[in-house]
Amino acid sequence: MKILIPIKQVPESSNVKMDPETGTVIRSGLESVVNPLDLYALETAIRLKESCGAELTAISMGPPQAMKVLKEAVAMGCDHGVLISDRKFGGADTWATSYTLSQAIRKLGDFDLIIAGERATDGDTAQVGPAIAAWLDVPVATYVSKISEVKDSRIYLERLVEEGYQMLSMPFPCLITVVKEIAVPRLPTLKGKIRSRDMEIPVFTSENMDLNPDFLGLKGSPTKVVRINTPKVTRSGKIVQAGDDESLNAAADEFVVFLEEKGIL
Amino acid sequence: MAPVSDTQYAPVTPKIAEELRGILGSGNVLVDEEKIEAYSHDETDAAEYGHMPEAVVFPLTAEQVAQVVKLANRERIPVTPRGAGSGLSGGAIPQLGGIVVSLEKMNRLLELDKENMVAVVEAGMVTNDLAQTVQDEGLFFAGYPMSLQTCVIGGNIAENAGGGKAVKYGVTGRYVLGLELVTPTGDIVNLGGKLSKDVSGYDLKSLVVGSEGTLGIVTKAIIKLIGYPAAKSDLLVLFKTPKEAIDLVPVILSKGLTPTSIEFMDQLSIITSCRYLNESLPYEKAGAMLLIELDGTNPDQIEMDLIDIGRLCEEKGAIEVYVAEDRNNIERIWNVRRNIAEAFKVFSPVQSLEDIVVPPSRIPEIIPELEKLGKKYRVQIPCYGHAGDGNLHATLVKDPDMSMEEWKKNEVQCLEELYEITEKLGGKISGEHGIGLKRKTFLKELIDPVELDLMKAIKRAWDPNNIMNPGKIFD
Amino acid sequence: MNEVWTLAEQHNGQLKAVSFELLSRGRALADKLKVPLVSVLIGDGVDESRLRELIERGADKVYAVQDPKLSHFVCETYAKVLGRLIDEHKPSILLAAATSSGRTLMPYTAVKAHAGLTADCTELDIEEGTGNLLQTRPAIGGNIMATIKTPDHRPQMATVRPKSSRPLARDASRTGTITKIPLDETLLDQRVQVTGYRKDAEDFVNLEEADIVIAGGRGLKKAENFGMIRKLADTLGGAVGATREAVDRGWMGYPHQIGLSGKTISPKLYVGIGISGAIQHLAGIKTSELIVSINSDPDAALHKLADFGIVGDAFQVVPAIQKRLDQRKREDQ
Repeated sequence: MKILIPIKQVPESSNVKMDPETGTVIRSGLESVVNPLDLYALETAIRLKESCGAELTAISMGPPQAMKVLKEAVAMGCDHGVLISDRKFGGADTWATSYTLSQAIRKLGDFDLIIAGERATDGDTAQVGPAIAAWLDVPVATYVSKISEVKDSRIYLERLVEEGYQMLSMPFPCLITVVKEIAVPRLPTLKGKIRSRDMEIPVFTSENMDLNPDFLGLKGSPTKVVRINTPKVTRSGKIVQAGDDESLNAAADEFVVFLEEKGIL
Repeated sequence: MAPVSDTQYAPVTPKIAEELRGILGSGNVLVDEEKIEAYSHDETDAAEYGHMPEAVVFPLTAEQVAQVVKLANRERIPVTPRGAGSGLSGGAIPQLGGIVVSLEKMNRLLELDKENMVAVVEAGMVTNDLAQTVQDEGLFFAGYPMSLQTCVIGGNIAENAGGGKAVKYGVTGRYVLGLELVTPTGDIVNLGGKLSKDVSGYDLKSLVVGSEGTLGIVTKAIIKLIGYPAAKSDLLVLFKTPKEAIDLVPVILSKGLTPTSIEFMDQLSIITSCRYLNESLPYEKAGAMLLIELDGTNPDQIEMDLIDIGRLCEEKGAIEVYVAEDRNNIERIWNVRRNIAEAFKVFSPVQSLEDIVVPPSRIPEIIPELEKLGKKYRVQIPCYGHAGDGNLHATLVKDPDMSMEEWKKNEVQCLEELYEITEKLGGKISGEHGIGLKRKTFLKELIDPVELDLMKAIKRAWDPNNIMNPGKIFD
Repeated sequence: MNEVWTLAEQHNGQLKAVSFELLSRGRALADKLKVPLVSVLIGDGVDESRLRELIERGADKVYAVQDPKLSHFVCETYAKVLGRLIDEHKPSILLAAATSSGRTLMPYTAVKAHAGLTADCTELDIEEGTGNLLQTRPAIGGNIMATIKTPDHRPQMATVRPKSSRPLARDASRTGTITKIPLDETLLDQRVQVTGYRKDAEDFVNLEEADIVIAGGRGLKKAENFGMIRKLADTLGGAVGATREAVDRGWMGYPHQIGLSGKTISPKLYVGIGISGAIQHLAGIKTSELIVSINSDPDAALHKLADFGIVGDAFQVVPAIQKRLDQRKREDQ
């Protein structure tokens, strides 16, 4: 079984600081990490490799520094990495990104399964996974929370949806996006780290890929950002103390009044 | 020799309170019982060790501190200096009542001298605020402990705090170049300065560091900074036995590799914390774990050292060596270490947090002793802490079913035995938290009497009326 | 100018509330553009009177493709049916809900239609002069708002978060046409087979569609303490949410997780209990109408975002609130 895992390098978000004066995000000093939600995809792939046998290739589109996340994927247990990097790909929206990724996947040849994270924590669109499936014309299952079985070139899954868990199956080749519930990612080991350090990771560029130049980067993106603004926090919160019995009761009373005033009760 | 604290103390009368208001302004003096309650305890058990002050004052300048201390000398009122109140030995508790001098309003960074890599701060500055501010300038205050969220510089100095980074960076005292001190008689003196070398007479600055507020009130400090080590990586290593884990520490250090931290966790600590965190690491296989952190300014060097140390671990029989190089993974493995105390608190909130220190090589010998003690006194004793410098948090955790009376009795006896074992192994009863109130009876029994007499003589010379944090370290 | 479309959703023959929320968004856009508003339904078993409600809530037309073979969402089939409709009618705008199916169908369709798609919009407007759709969405954890347009491609596609807009009141006097379009069976995708649904009664929750969410965090200390959160949620008719840490520690199931690696919610009322307010969690609740925080730490980041905050021990405050609400209920009866 051949499995591809598209992953993304994103700014680490837990330490995002806001400039108190302007309300903007201070970007400097932010570390880049593997999109945390892609770790679940990597873990799912590694477990399939352990249970059914598979060859795993992590692919990532981004600047040359994104090599780092591919190395980490290999350190976790992937067999190969491929970096898709070219200035011409810069500024791509999800439509153009998924096009470029799908062409890289075609270049890699046949595959059975693509496992993607639910979404990236920076763009937060959840579009690239299903969009790659559309480009490749393979079936897609999003929000997969469980792989029940792989049998006779079919994969049996559960999806986390509004009504509960939808159970379905589809044939290879296909694409799934997974949610956190599917597995807890493992930590890279020293052995994996040493292996990834010595590994050559090929780079796909606009030169060595078959691409429609009109579909690339900012120019090839249907959506355009018109403006960015910082929302003003307009909440004028009231804070009450609940220390001793008296203030505790007053706070509880005030909460109920708050709910009444706002029409909740 | 008469006990140092044989003094008869006077109460804070309304007249004295009025005088304090005259010195500090009425907004900076509290006598209202409800408001001063918060100053009656620190992070030790309030019911057991807490004691109400009679007044709490919030000075804004060293001169105000000096005037308060002069007044206290005149009237024979005990004075207890207080930082953030995050101590674990009762050092900031006004055991004899009197006046608590809280430095919380003296919290400014007075000067950041980038040329000399020095910060001049008021004693009440939150250590974390200082660390953040200097980090924005690419600088690092290396001498702060793990409880950095709340603690203040003055408290770090008074306790000569250590913490997780001491293997590489040492303890707070190493970064204190100078102090402004209000002496127990109410004089203001400057010790040291922006100097890396200073041998002009006795090193009184170093005497004040770690004196637990008994030799005066630090109002200002000159702090040495170093370049900020932006690159950081960690190893989490699983071992079959504590001995295997500990044996590795001298091997690593003797190769010239200097990790920032080498944290040790025994099996009980690991299991409790991992279960609490729902951590999926194969922790059940491990009889002990080491968490090794490397930091520095050169990422390539860090990576090479990381691999060298990891290989040493593998050669010495580690079950598995995990590598954490990004913030998310680093957070994940440190969570196991950081949540040990919290995990045990959920199990049983009544604990005695200890911080014994032994020569690092003796750690494996103490683990089976802890197990025996735990069985004997029906307490759990997880053992974790800073293996790199032998400083261990062997914490006594009360069995939730045990009665409080039984716990009190067992706690004292168990601690006595624990401290005896520690001494036998060439260790001391406190590596970080100090003696304070909590451990002074134990200190008396274990310390060389000559050393204790020297300490008492110094105390008498500095504080003839014994009004400065009396009842701490020794009576 | 061509039609504005919104996508209706159904389950077991019932229309989902988001279908009506989208119509109120679509109505405003269609009015500005002076074009018809169409509600497009792909599914099965929605009867005439329910289809009629789409008109009463703002649609001028309904295009309904219904067939038992469409009763479950299958992305490939739905995309082909929708793609055929788009080819025939060439709508200028297509809105769908940011639900599990909307978030799957829309990107799939956008690729096939060579159209631009913006996810999770919180504001939609029409640009003066050009008539282009202006799509505003939160980015970087809700810390900035980005406005996006698709000048050269049609339809202009966007998904909208459930609960981020109110449905229009039902107006029985509204008129409109309902067009039933038979399914062309050649559009059915034979590859994917849906075999059913599984629901854990105890642990399942549809947070995104809840009006009230009561959430707990690390401050609750252990799983059992979520009992008081459940009770409060039951009393207020809300759902239970949790922070990443609470879920990671196994105190609550993943379907309850709110934030960057869980769900983004926009309820009328969000109450965070024992939640400090990590930036990832705040990203998931920022669009709530009302935010309440209960936490003993006065410096908790959530307090700063709250409309109403109580600084106090959750284990005392929550029972005190519960007592009052129980009392109130008894008095009402």
